[in-house]
Amino acid sequence: MHQLDILPMVAAHSQHKEGEDGRENGQKDVYSHLYMKAHLPKTIQYVPPLNFSLVEDGIYRSGFPMPINYPFLERLELKTIIYLGDLGQEKKEKKQKKDKEKEKEKDKNTTLEVLANYKQWIDSTDITFHHLMMESSQEPFLNQDRIKQAQESLTTALQLMLDRNNFPMLIHSNKGKHRIGVLVGLMRKILQGWCMSGIFEEYEKFAMGKSEIDLEFIELWQPELWVDDKWRPDFVRC
Amino acid sequence: MSRKVVQPPSLRIIPPLNFCPVEKQLYRSGQPLIINQSFLQDLNLKTIIWLASEEPQEEFLDYCSMNSINIEFVGMINDDYSYQNVNPWDSLNETTIKKALELICDRNNYPMLVCCGMGRHRTGTVIGCLRRLQGWNLASVSEEYRRFTGARGGRILVELLIEGFDISTVEIDPEKVPQWLGKRDK
Repeated sequence: MHQLDILPMVAAHSQHKEGEDGRENGQKDVYSHLYMKAHLPKTIQYVPPLNFSLVEDGIYRSGFPMPINYPFLERLELKTIIYLGDLGQEKKEKKQKKDKEKEKEKDKNTTLEVLANYKQWIDSTDITFHHLMMESSQEPFLNQDRIKQAQESLTTALQLMLDRNNFPMLIHSNKGKHRIGVLVGLMRKILQGWCMSGIFEEYEKFAMGKSEIDLEFIELWQPELWVDDKWRPDFVRC
Repeated sequence: MSRKVVQPPSLRIIPPLNFCPVEKQLYRSGQPLIINQSFLQDLNLKTIIWLASEEPQEEFLDYCSMNSINIEFVGMINDDYSYQNVNPWDSLNETTIKKALELICDRNNYPMLVCCGMGRHRTGTVIGCLRRLQGWNLASVSEEYRRFTGARGGRILVELLIEGFDISTVEIDPEKVPQWLGKRDK
């Protein structure tokens, strides 16, 4: 069987009968019978959530899990999920504004449905769920209260990550880019002592472009944490 | 007893280029440099799969022998090519991917690092095929591959290689398979 060096999976297949078109020796058609054989999955496909990755043994990161991701997540046998976001918060603020366009009204309902669906799935498992409020840093923090809230949430999250009783753990935000990028960056800096350039490289992999003020925040902010050496995960160096 | 932490460790460790954990005790990266050695020390590596077609740097080989790390030169065992024909831009082939995956599917080799020159395409090919073996859908496999390819993006030929690779050719010993892979459906 004819094979191409560059792509060994692409090979001549007999369903195309040689000479069928009467131009069997023509140079032009020498590769026209090359196909790639499809390998259909024999088992069900597992779909990880958006921007899914292992951070360290026992900690995974991702964007917001959707129903299509539940079978994948169930196999991770998670003990804890931390959601850094404002999905519940958003709705309260929007309610205060009058004269909502119908389109936006519809959006809001979809979002609420997603959240309700997700909480229902979590309730069907043994996972402990922590919803920590944090506004998107895409909109620069407007006031001290919001900055304080984000810092409190991040401190709580880091504290949970310092106790391996909580593992395996999933940390997620909506897209798994910015808020989780900040949390992972802080973990790399404070708990593991990574150099800043390595932290920025990792942040960029997931954020793909926009970083806003996240990198400055990772670099400059330092919370007060408590470490219990008895339950400290192996990757922690502080 | 808890103790208070108010600052990061003062001695910083430097991860290798494109470093990322893949699964428990399995890591990926570009070629480690001497500045990465304190970082690598914490990983306690037993095996490194070297996928590039060219030899790694001398210091890297020395580091491995001093730490009794076994290096598997998978990208270089290509029987179809004579040595002069080896081109670092070529992709891996079916044989080399299969060989790398079979090493990954043996937990006796762990902790393990999979790497090539930049940790982009060759490493991405092998990890991509591993994800297919784990039953991931192809779109998620591509998303992960592209995350590591830098500003110039992914190569369509690498993605084709991942798509076209026949995972049923990989021979897995159920006695040796890592726990996270053993959970997949038969």
